[in-house]
Amino acid sequence: MQKRNNWLLLALFAPAFAVFVAFFLLPLARLAFASAMGPSGFKIYLAAITTPRYLETLVYTILLSAGVTLVTLVISGIVGVFLTRNEFRGKSLLVSMLTFPLAFPGVVVGFMIILLVGRQGLMGDITKLLTGEKLVLAYSMAGLFLGYLYFSIPRTITTIMASAEKIDRSLEEAARSLGASPWRVVKDVLIPALVPGLISSGAICFATSMGAFGTAFTLATNIDVLPILIYTEFTLIANIAMAAALSIVLGLITWMALSVARAAAGNSVAAAG
Amino acid sequence: MQKTKSMLFHAQFLFTLLVCAFLIVPVVQSVVAGLTENFIMGVKSGLTLRWFVQVWSLYRDTIFLSILIALTCLAVTLILGVPAAYAMVKKQNRWTRLFEELLVTPLAVPGLAIALALIINYGGFTGFRTSWIFILVGHVIFTLPFMVRSVIAIMNSVSLKEFEEGAASLGAGFWQRFFQVVIPNALPGILAGSLMVFTLSIGEFNLTWMLHTPMTKTLPVGLADSYASMRLEIGSAYTIIFFLMIIPLLIAMQWVAKPRQREFVMEKSHAATGATVLRPIAAASCSPDQKEGGRKLSGTALRLVNCAKTFVDGTRALEPFNLKVEAGETVVILGPSGCGKTTLLRIIAGLESPDSDGRVYFGEDDVTDVPIEKRNVGMVFQSYALFPNMTVAENIAYGLKVRGIEAAPRHQRVSEMLDMMKIGQLQNRHIDQLSGGQKQRVALARAIAVRPKVLLLDEPLTALDAKLRDLLRVEIDSLLRSLGITAIYVTHDQSEAMALGDRIVVMNTARVAQVGSPREIYFEPQTRFVAEFIGTINRLKGRLQEDRLVFPGGSIPLPASSAVRAGENGNVELFFRPEHAALVEFGQGHLHATVVASFFMGDRTRVIIEGSSDDYLTIETKGIQSFKKGQRVEVAIDPGALLRLDS
Repeated sequence: MQKRNNWLLLALFAPAFAVFVAFFLLPLARLAFASAMGPSGFKIYLAAITTPRYLETLVYTILLSAGVTLVTLVISGIVGVFLTRNEFRGKSLLVSMLTFPLAFPGVVVGFMIILLVGRQGLMGDITKLLTGEKLVLAYSMAGLFLGYLYFSIPRTITTIMASAEKIDRSLEEAARSLGASPWRVVKDVLIPALVPGLISSGAICFATSMGAFGTAFTLATNIDVLPILIYTEFTLIANIAMAAALSIVLGLITWMALSVARAAAGNSVAAAG
Repeated sequence: MQKTKSMLFHAQFLFTLLVCAFLIVPVVQSVVAGLTENFIMGVKSGLTLRWFVQVWSLYRDTIFLSILIALTCLAVTLILGVPAAYAMVKKQNRWTRLFEELLVTPLAVPGLAIALALIINYGGFTGFRTSWIFILVGHVIFTLPFMVRSVIAIMNSVSLKEFEEGAASLGAGFWQRFFQVVIPNALPGILAGSLMVFTLSIGEFNLTWMLHTPMTKTLPVGLADSYASMRLEIGSAYTIIFFLMIIPLLIAMQWVAKPRQREFVMEKSHAATGATVLRPIAAASCSPDQKEGGRKLSGTALRLVNCAKTFVDGTRALEPFNLKVEAGETVVILGPSGCGKTTLLRIIAGLESPDSDGRVYFGEDDVTDVPIEKRNVGMVFQSYALFPNMTVAENIAYGLKVRGIEAAPRHQRVSEMLDMMKIGQLQNRHIDQLSGGQKQRVALARAIAVRPKVLLLDEPLTALDAKLRDLLRVEIDSLLRSLGITAIYVTHDQSEAMALGDRIVVMNTARVAQVGSPREIYFEPQTRFVAEFIGTINRLKGRLQEDRLVFPGGSIPLPASSAVRAGENGNVELFFRPEHAALVEFGQGHLHATVVASFFMGDRTRVIIEGSSDDYLTIETKGIQSFKKGQRVEVAIDPGALLRLDS
């Protein structure tokens, strides 16, 4: 009986596993293999992290992603906690608007940034009116930063709201009954309780930023980020080995970020994604 | 205080509005741009739909292809993901855990890398590479984890294991359980996962940009093209179309995520209202075929031979166990939590198998290797395990339906059960609209409806409050007696055991401590454990001198028949129950003592005294007398009730 059930369960499990192996694990193994098939073999990884152009892009991408993650956590933390802790008219509309961009692909996010701070963007019009000078941020690091914020904030707000809702309100009430001021309550109760949620959403925010392609692609900025670099290596220069090696490096960095967060915050990181 | 709070509120509110503006202003801009003649002039230039017409003629193929891919991707992830999620929840082993770990990796590996890997590996198959199936494959890999995780989450949150065991106890096989219990109860998670997969697939760009060919462009690829063409009006109109496609999906997602509760019918725990909510079921109201002849033996005898259970990690949950239950007998398995009583019940049910040399017999049939769904048992679970996706009547009918009983006799049997349990008015309710006591009755009705050979009850009253428990205990007792069914009842509550059991099996640390009638267990406990587990017992430490037991506070003459008179003159420990002692006038008792505490229980007073033994003694006295701490009392003990127990 038990044995038969095991076979049936295996039969339910096997198709997904097979597809996953065939179209994910196997290709990824080939990718790793391809990276070492170039003329320089495994030394290509050394080249990937020592060649100034690659190294610079790598550092930029990591700094950009880390900065975006930090700012996103602060913004979404404030907004998310505010929204879970207060009831007011129009709240659900506000929440819907804040989470609407959740489903935007990177290209649309890029377009939004162009509309906001591009050559013909709103910000340009306003600044021209105020100072006579047109402020255009879209095609610089600042534009990328805003774009990454744009897609990170909605995701992070939803996960932070979910974890803020789970906090036992009586903890806060207990702290207040013991005489803690509102700020002490935030510092001693709220933030510690939010930490696992912050770590996990931060890790996902970082990973998505590292791998984001569409936004940078649409903005066509003068600063390369790693995904764009991989794309140009592959399609324009046809340096398949380097493209593969850089992909592996990128994958390792994001995977490490998620693993560290998972170890730090418990098992909820992937589920929150 | 109030003022600072409202300032804090307003500051946060303003901040939230600013964030919202950052996100929504460009959306509004794009909507305006897509609907007006000239982007730079704005609304002044006049409204138009011509950009939409242009988008339609230029890019409609991308919209159709995206919908095709998203729908196919949804179908594939459903077919692959839901069964896999179920298997992973059911079977926790190295492989499923590894797969669960691996499932996270597509989230960690950037889409670009996945796409590159797919191209390097499969790019050589030109037909495959240039078809939309290639994009589909990428989307499946990208979205499958979301589907699987969403379904796993819901399966872990509903008590799937209990529902499945409930269904199995009613006779449902593997596939029946999967399609009738697992899938319906996982539906919210499947729906949420589906919306997620569809939305992600529609908007996927990172992978798709690498995987597409000029012949296979999806909506986001088209969007990128239109943005690159530098015609903001067309780009905007196209973006509006995308918004219109995802807005219903987002609304549906919010709707799915919203917790819904059916109206819950509150049940008062007071006896008076309890009686109106639950009309008492009388023994005489049982179904006609079982009414006549008082105790009709409709059950099957049950025999356990050498049933032990060792878990995979080496823990011995049950030492080799032998038990014979007569047909129609009610046997209560009583013991503290963790003593192995539930394991024993699950072995009888067929939910666990005993270690290799144990055998389970129903009558003369060896059912050890028969799975629960073929054993024809009725089982009432501690949590009731009623199926939330079915009404009361459907729950009761389920076991009959699984057995392929036709509609007419099935309905008849269901209404018979509804009448018997006096729950006819609840038949169309959903399970979450029932009170605890009502659920209990439905669970009983469902288990009995299939006319089981053996009825198994796993702490069926534990989830109820004290008053209701007393009421239902009486009802279950009269029900078991009028049905004459063989019943095994597991509990940790000694009063339940005393009230219901023809025989009680007291268990302790995976072994039988004693088997006997309630009276034997209470009056002739064989070990200290049994004596202490059932009721309260006092210990007297003293020495035997001639025919008296002598201890610090006094002495008791031992009658000639007393078992303790083993002829020894050494130290002995003797035990007696509170009701076998009384507080008496000075000079008439056997021992002097001092009151430590007294508890007025209404019908009696429980007095704790010290002075005649190492331990406190507990004496119960009736009457209105009250006691003060430190008061001197004298106690008389019935010498015939003194017990000697092995520890």
